[in-house]
Amino acid sequence: MLQLECADLAQAVVEGNAAEARRLARAWAEAGGDPLQALEQGFARGIHRVGELWEEGEYFLPELIQGAEAMKAALETLGPFLRAARTEQRSRGCVVIGTVRGDLHDIGKSLVATMLSAHGFEVHDLGSDVPVAAFVEETRRVRAGIVAASALLTTTMVGQRDLVRAVQAAGFDWSPRVLIGGAPTTPDWAAEIGARHAENALRAVAVAEELAQR
Amino acid sequence: MSELLDRLRRGPCLLLDGGLGSELIARGLAPGTPPDLWTLERPGDLTSVHRAYLEAGSEAVHSNTFGANAARLARFGLLDRIEDLNHAAVRLAREAGARYVIADVGPTGEYLPPVGQADPGQWRRHFVQQGRILAASGIDAFHVETMTDLREALVALESLREAAPGLPVLVSLAFERRKRGFFTIMGDPLVPSLTRLAAAGAVAVGANCGIASADMRELGREALAATDLPLVLQPNAGQPLREGGGVRYAQRPEEFAEDMASLLPAARLAALGGCCGTGPAFIAALRSRMPGHPQPVAPAPGPRP
Repeated sequence: MLQLECADLAQAVVEGNAAEARRLARAWAEAGGDPLQALEQGFARGIHRVGELWEEGEYFLPELIQGAEAMKAALETLGPFLRAARTEQRSRGCVVIGTVRGDLHDIGKSLVATMLSAHGFEVHDLGSDVPVAAFVEETRRVRAGIVAASALLTTTMVGQRDLVRAVQAAGFDWSPRVLIGGAPTTPDWAAEIGARHAENALRAVAVAEELAQR
Repeated sequence: MSELLDRLRRGPCLLLDGGLGSELIARGLAPGTPPDLWTLERPGDLTSVHRAYLEAGSEAVHSNTFGANAARLARFGLLDRIEDLNHAAVRLAREAGARYVIADVGPTGEYLPPVGQADPGQWRRHFVQQGRILAASGIDAFHVETMTDLREALVALESLREAAPGLPVLVSLAFERRKRGFFTIMGDPLVPSLTRLAAAGAVAVGANCGIASADMRELGREALAATDLPLVLQPNAGQPLREGGGVRYAQRPEEFAEDMASLLPAARLAALGGCCGTGPAFIAALRSRMPGHPQPVAPAPGPRP
């Protein structure tokens, strides 16, 4: 029988090979391997490495997307096994994510969504061009602890401030935190509007983990 | 040979305009509104921006057509106005008194797999269509700019040359400074990309948007050291900062002008200008550092907006 190592699972994601990630995930689970281990010690480490390779300037957008696609394929394949084994990954928290109103940029936001899923967050992705009211409504529905909003245009960044205000005004009986990102956004802007900032998908995971521990 | 082509090839360095979208935002362009729409809805504001640049010393202005291709317009339900938007934008630039009107051609916003689902044939149809409309509007050149994928830039270049064989095409990519040098987000490296574009017939090649003048100066030095290609450079004015209801850019005009002017002894600089956040004051500051540069063109007579 094929001897699978967690490193092989990670490698499929690093190489951005979705078919291989799917095949390995199925082989692992069908051989009786712990699906949670495959996820946490295998595939998630792969997507983390993809993020590092981006930061190091080795990877570019196509490699990031392919890594995320491989990660998604692995998550989809492992899903039924995780549920069957009743070892559903312990959720680290619930995140509502989207790109703000008037902004059609989807790529960076989707990468962050995949990364957060890979790291054990329950992610509700609202897509792009999302009105503030839709963010708030979904946050209420799923009781999200984190609301993540992307903006890629200087003209749409202001929607992030509107979102922070709306979340504060929504009267939740818990305190969701707003996490922002996107090319024109800066830590200063986040501080000014009362949000947290992440400059890339890898940092978004780190900040979300920090917020989830509170 | 056209007058502009001759100038780009022989120099002296042509002074372009600065950011157009950021000037429209300063005049109240609302979040999510496509800047191209203001050509029809707020023509007076377009005229005022073009004139401000001409008064600051710009010898050429870009038409407000960055997003006036079928792919982008369709997303805003403006596809049926594609001819009007392109024609009117060129007319406004010309009527503002510009000696040279350069048609701005931006990316389609559609990506090849794995990033998106576009195909090069789709790109080609969009650029040929926009190119034909712009050429019929009476322009002096095309500037394909803010391209993040060399492949799309090459398709745009080839399509425009096909649509209007006699018109010069300048091409600028949006580079980021990464740990190993300047690359587009798709991973296209600086020097090979510029070389490829020049080989494909661009009269000037270079960079715009993405980076501010300090990085652009470094990019320019790298390109000048490694190639003998005619360069066009248009940096941003640093990172945008929100202030009150508006957007402000961190950089001062003098800093921008110093950085750009430091490249000027190089004969291969075909054109310099600015991108997002660089207003008329930036162009004026740069002009004052371009010795022997022609005086600003007097704007055409006409009602002030």
